[in-house]
Amino acid sequence: MSPGPLLPLLLSLKVAAGATAIILPPGVALGWLLARRAVRGRSVLETLTALPLILPPTAIGYLLLRLLSRDGLLGERTLGFDPGLLLTWKAAAAASAIMALPLVARTARLAFERVDPRLEALARTLGLGPWSAFLGVTLPLARPGLLAAAILGFGRALGEFGATVIVAGNIPGRTQTLALAIFSDMQIGHDREAMVLVGITTALAFAAIWCVEALLRPGRRSSR
Amino acid sequence: MTRLQLDLTVPLDRYTLAVRWETRATFLGIFGPSGAGKTTILEAIAGLRRGASGMIRVADRLCLDSAAGVSLPPEERGIGYVPQEGLLFPHRDLLGNVLAGQRRAEDSGRRLDPEKVLRVLELGGLEHRTVETLSGGERQRVALARALCSGPRILLLDEPLAGLDLPLRRRILPFLLRVREEFALPTILVSHDPTEVRILSDEILVLAEGRSVACGPPERIFSDPRVFPMARDEGFENALRGQVTDEQDGMTRVALSSECHVHLRGEGLAPDRTVLVGVRAEDLILAIAPPRGLSAQNVLPGVIREVAEPPGSAGVDSGVPVMVELAGSGQVVLASITPRSRRELGLRPGLEVHVVFKAQACRVLAAL
Repeated sequence: MSPGPLLPLLLSLKVAAGATAIILPPGVALGWLLARRAVRGRSVLETLTALPLILPPTAIGYLLLRLLSRDGLLGERTLGFDPGLLLTWKAAAAASAIMALPLVARTARLAFERVDPRLEALARTLGLGPWSAFLGVTLPLARPGLLAAAILGFGRALGEFGATVIVAGNIPGRTQTLALAIFSDMQIGHDREAMVLVGITTALAFAAIWCVEALLRPGRRSSR
Repeated sequence: MTRLQLDLTVPLDRYTLAVRWETRATFLGIFGPSGAGKTTILEAIAGLRRGASGMIRVADRLCLDSAAGVSLPPEERGIGYVPQEGLLFPHRDLLGNVLAGQRRAEDSGRRLDPEKVLRVLELGGLEHRTVETLSGGERQRVALARALCSGPRILLLDEPLAGLDLPLRRRILPFLLRVREEFALPTILVSHDPTEVRILSDEILVLAEGRSVACGPPERIFSDPRVFPMARDEGFENALRGQVTDEQDGMTRVALSSECHVHLRGEGLAPDRTVLVGVRAEDLILAIAPPRGLSAQNVLPGVIREVAEPPGSAGVDSGVPVMVELAGSGQVVLASITPRSRRELGLRPGLEVHVVFKAQACRVLAAL
């Protein structure tokens, strides 16, 4: 008996929101670093950032599982307490966050690259310190692109399957997101229910990409 | 007090910029052709150039001293920078741009009243316009207002009139002169237009390929035989200051002194208006006797002050500058004369001459 589409939908939104919250700060910071700084080992950093695009999601999931398991670097034995993440929605959020990193970091990088760096430099000549100049000029000008990065990350997390199933399992009502529910329904021959879930997922994805396209349209006000 | 002390080295793609300059003048100009390194100097002073080394002192503040390991970040240099492109903040309205440096202005005690700045620059009433609805000339003035309102010790103007068409240049130039008179703020102006630098500066550094060619006051610097050909190539115009007296038969008459009047095509200017009249050095004819029966409307008496030696290898067509002081006004003009004319007429300092040019050869550069 499948629990109906509502529970997987709500769980998917929760997992995707959690994943976005986890990955947005480091993703934006990474995007800024790649857009603005000539760091050493830059190409290695770029490649590492893009890696989850290419790696099988199950590989990421497996690495995360090892990391979080009792003997792992973030497991009970090292930390001294049980973080209790495995087989919960939090583990699903963490897995989705890693899978969303390439999209978030790349979109954030584009957002910063669209802002003329001379505007921030000019703000400095007006007496603003580096932080004030960044918060007062670069950040507001990059905001549409950063919002697009967040939406793309959210969208990517909604569709996550392979890594999630490994660290969070497929527990109806607890970790069964839309993507996992489609798989379950299909396996037990609930084609009608699967189609409903596919419809919901498509609508969400459509809305997300629509917003992103609108935010990144070249005609939007930019600094150039 | 020394306004500016520069001993600057900046490695660039094609050459290394190396400039030394120390001056007490308030309004400094840097003139040179495009690519001479003018903008680089301003960026180095503003603290926006990595790789700049040497020493920069603005007024009493040491901004850069590589030997002592001093390099102030841009926000501590007290600079009001107006870059060539204006670089207004597109996410703020006009007033938001003008007040962007307000905090430093208040902290430093060098605050200018923004309302007054907007009034002087004729931006009053536009406070809430967005940047994209402003015209090119308005943007230039907003960038200038923003710098003025940030409480700077010194103003850096990078080609403030470049990229503007002639009518607009004529509108902006008076604003720059007005800012100079109203706020008396030390200024470094950079331009490839010798006329502009001449009008707005007390002391001029001439730059070519990253090296200083010459340095001196505006009335003398362009007669320097090393500078004159550069200035002429960039469209040097003599700038004569006078008052409009009347307009007759479609001709405007401008009095430079009781003895010197300039006639030019009618501009519909009100009498008593102060104007700057521009005329090119190569459009001036020198006569050693009072000329008669000429169609040229302008015959101005004067005395030769300086005649440059023609450079050895110059062709016949390349003129040498002859500096003439016009009678009664103390204003000087440069005439570009071929070496042969110079020889045949025996032009030399102290000789009384008449400067002749057509009404059509001159134009109003700015009405103040």
